[in-house]
Amino acid sequence: MNQAELDTTQLLKGVLDLAVLAVLADADSYGYDVVRRLREGGLDNVGDASVYGTLRRLYQAGALNSYVVPSDEGPHRKYYGLNNRGRKALDQSAQNWASFSKALNHLLNGRSNGHGK
Amino acid sequence: MASNDQAIDVASYAASVRTALSDLPPDQAEVLLEDLEDHLREIAAEAGGPLAERLGPPEQYAQELRAAYGAAQANGRRQDPALRDIRRSVAWVTGSTWYRQVRAFLPELRPAWWVLRAYLVVLVLTAASSRSYNLRPIPNPFSSRGLLQIIATAIAIVLSIRLGRRDRPLAKGGRLLAIGANIMVALIALPVLASMGTFPSMAMVEAGGGQSVDPQTLFSATGAVTNIYPYSKDGKPLTDILLFDQEGHPLTLSAKIGDLTTDYAIGADGQPITNAYPLQQRHLNGDPVGTPRVALPPWPVTSPTASPSPSLSPSPSPGR
Repeated sequence: MNQAELDTTQLLKGVLDLAVLAVLADADSYGYDVVRRLREGGLDNVGDASVYGTLRRLYQAGALNSYVVPSDEGPHRKYYGLNNRGRKALDQSAQNWASFSKALNHLLNGRSNGHGK
Repeated sequence: MASNDQAIDVASYAASVRTALSDLPPDQAEVLLEDLEDHLREIAAEAGGPLAERLGPPEQYAQELRAAYGAAQANGRRQDPALRDIRRSVAWVTGSTWYRQVRAFLPELRPAWWVLRAYLVVLVLTAASSRSYNLRPIPNPFSSRGLLQIIATAIAIVLSIRLGRRDRPLAKGGRLLAIGANIMVALIALPVLASMGTFPSMAMVEAGGGQSVDPQTLFSATGAVTNIYPYSKDGKPLTDILLFDQEGHPLTLSAKIGDLTTDYAIGADGQPITNAYPLQQRHLNGDPVGTPRVALPPWPVTSPTASPSPSLSPSPSPGR
């Protein structure tokens, strides 16, 4: 595992909740589909277990509701969706992320422009 | 075949993950892992190939799961050493190959249990509703009671399967309740099943009491025997023939069979004579039961005259 990949993994840990909430805000979804959509969204390194664990934790924390959709072939799927608390958490986290990334971008731009202290 | 391999792969992978997380408090592990198998099945179905190839070793998967869920690390720091040893032993068993194989196979037996539990519930209710009823593994379809039991079993099986196949998983409390109820059914059914074999089919006419008759059921080619019609060799219907078994006990048929009422002759001592055949029987509406048509066997031609002669000899002799 190279250094860059490790960094992405570390970063993901902090924002996986936000990413999962964002995916679910789009549409209700089940575990494997959430993983797929995160990867399609560019988070290639997202681990299946991380997403599964995050979904279970968010559900446990009361941010998600869940229902089972039977499927004719294959296993029944447990769908997750945002409830009010989840939507609030998403809004809050999104704001936090926006200010955080803005600050970080600012710092990075400052460094690359040679204006660092 | 392939899907079976896949099922075993899923079960075995899930078992390894559970083993690696066996130090979590049970309620936490339950919440975290309750639909792990479904999730893994989904991946197996879409990805193909062994799960370990796709997801990495199960232990690593478990660690990732633990981290993402925010559960306590398995450092054993908070744990009582004795407790940890027990958990390790449990983990060793649950991690073994044979355990995984058995575990992978068990879910396939679930539908069988759905059928069995329905049967057992009706059996237990039947046993509870009447103590004297002579329980058999398969109820007698020719008695109203047995027929009722069979119909009840069929309905119970349908309900039980619908219950088993329901889509919505139960909430945690309900789940525990359901598991408890299933275990209860099995436990209560055990003594009922055990007692079934101890009802001897040679039912006794109680030696002294006489009143409490526990009659036996005989079976012929077409089902339960409700009556016996003796004929003499030359085809005359006989009445009031007393039958005994090899022990010398009166041979008594169940009076309950087939919605018939039996009028026993009352002996001089006031006791019913239950083994005098044919029995005088009436339908529920009071009509007497008619004598069946019988086909008498042709006797061997070698003794056409010899056999009737003892009984018939008195009558021809005066004419001679």
